[in-house]
Amino acid sequence: MLIFMSRFLAQKLNIRLPRAKALIAIALSSMLAFTVFACSNGSITAQDVSDGSANADTPAVATVSGTLNQVLDAGVIKIAVPQDSPPFGSVGTDGEPQGYDVEVAKLVAESLEVELELIPVTSTNRIPYLETGRVDLVISSLGATPERAKAIYFSSIPYAPFFSGVYGSASQSVSSYEDLAGKTVGVTQGALEDLELSDKAPESIEIKRFEDNSVTISALLSNQVELIATGNTIAGEVIKNNPDANIESKFVMKNSPCYIGVRRGDLDMLEWVNVFVRHKRFSGEFDTLSQEWFGQPLEVPGF
Amino acid sequence: MQDFTLSQIITNLLLATRWTIALSAIAFIGGGIVGFIVMLMRISSNRLLRWPSMLYIELFEATPLIMQLFLVFFGISVVFGINLTTWTAAAISLTTYTSAFLADIWRGAVEAIPIGQWEASKALGFSYFRQLQKVILPQAVRASIPPTVGFAVQVIKGTSLASVIGFIELTRSASSISNVTFQPFLVYSMAAAIYFCLCFPLSLWSRRLESQFSYQ
Repeated sequence: MLIFMSRFLAQKLNIRLPRAKALIAIALSSMLAFTVFACSNGSITAQDVSDGSANADTPAVATVSGTLNQVLDAGVIKIAVPQDSPPFGSVGTDGEPQGYDVEVAKLVAESLEVELELIPVTSTNRIPYLETGRVDLVISSLGATPERAKAIYFSSIPYAPFFSGVYGSASQSVSSYEDLAGKTVGVTQGALEDLELSDKAPESIEIKRFEDNSVTISALLSNQVELIATGNTIAGEVIKNNPDANIESKFVMKNSPCYIGVRRGDLDMLEWVNVFVRHKRFSGEFDTLSQEWFGQPLEVPGF
Repeated sequence: MQDFTLSQIITNLLLATRWTIALSAIAFIGGGIVGFIVMLMRISSNRLLRWPSMLYIELFEATPLIMQLFLVFFGISVVFGINLTTWTAAAISLTTYTSAFLADIWRGAVEAIPIGQWEASKALGFSYFRQLQKVILPQAVRASIPPTVGFAVQVIKGTSLASVIGFIELTRSASSISNVTFQPFLVYSMAAAIYFCLCFPLSLWSRRLESQFSYQ
């Protein structure tokens, strides 16, 4: 069978040899031209991408300032949401994304009175998705940093909290690093909280380091440690899943709240997003969502 | 957050397996066709054909597939302002990647045929392509089956990289589900079992093919 096929193929090629040769040459040289070109540009860093986006000549960007109008005209908004970081965004039993960020995206579509198209992204590709116009907004537990702000715009105020904190049962009276003296605190080895705790906690603290988050949590629930230092989203999960353990937030170690990402140069959209975030925070809708997904009231730091 | 039952986990993984199969099929078909052409160029005695094909093979063999996917999907957007669909981008990158490897594997199989076979068939008055068709390729096919299938299995597993451009295929789906269920061992074992069910039949088939060709 295979012999027959290869013979057939060779026969075909044989018949059309001169033309095929020319075609192959053209196809290959154009392919090479592209790859060489692409390679000469090197790897795509955030800087490269932002340069491309900022350049108003490229078609992908010619529409930048009009995203809001475009969305309203098309009647559909594409929003990047996470799929691997519960409770911000995770996959539901039906395969669709769900979580706090997804609910915020739904609120956006509702407020704009347009259809919502959710695009699941990873932390690697969420900014390129925005820059290349594949999504209109990024609502994907995105922290604002000066480096990232060179590539995209951020809403001027955060829409969700994200911080490391110390958590423990309500019976523990702890509200600062000093209060940790003499306590046993569990932490996931090598995590941000591990570094913070080792750096700032008093000498007499006993830090127990565990392999991963689930073990750290088990240690708290089985009373092997009195307190744990972890991310608020993980703690939220624990609080929700173990209502009997009466675990609560003690104090915040490090803050990195989440902002909505807007394409650079897209001032109309940014303006709208800012009003949206403010309005939803004042109206308490984000607070409701926070109760639902984080198991605690919305605690977004203000300045 | 909803809780996943075992059957829901399996259903979701199997649904994601469709993309893994589709992406693999694209890679095999596109890569096979382009790879065959590149192989012909690579074994050609014409420098104008051979050198570009060498460059092509080296370029795509020496760069990671994930970079190729990323560059095709996002790079073309940035450089040319054209937004390729995820399918087009995946088809282009998987084809280039697979074809480069297949071209090299098949070139090896063809070059392993003793030069005497070429000379003998030439002495019979066969044209270059008749030699290939009647004498060289039938022998080379047999030699190339094990490495080709071995590479095909790699490609099936390699399609998981397409998650970087937004495909929710088997690996991505498994990691998403294990992030919700906090049962990574269970979920990843099932994903591994599905991969095995995809790849093992290929190996069996390759063994059968080899024995079919062995009488020659």
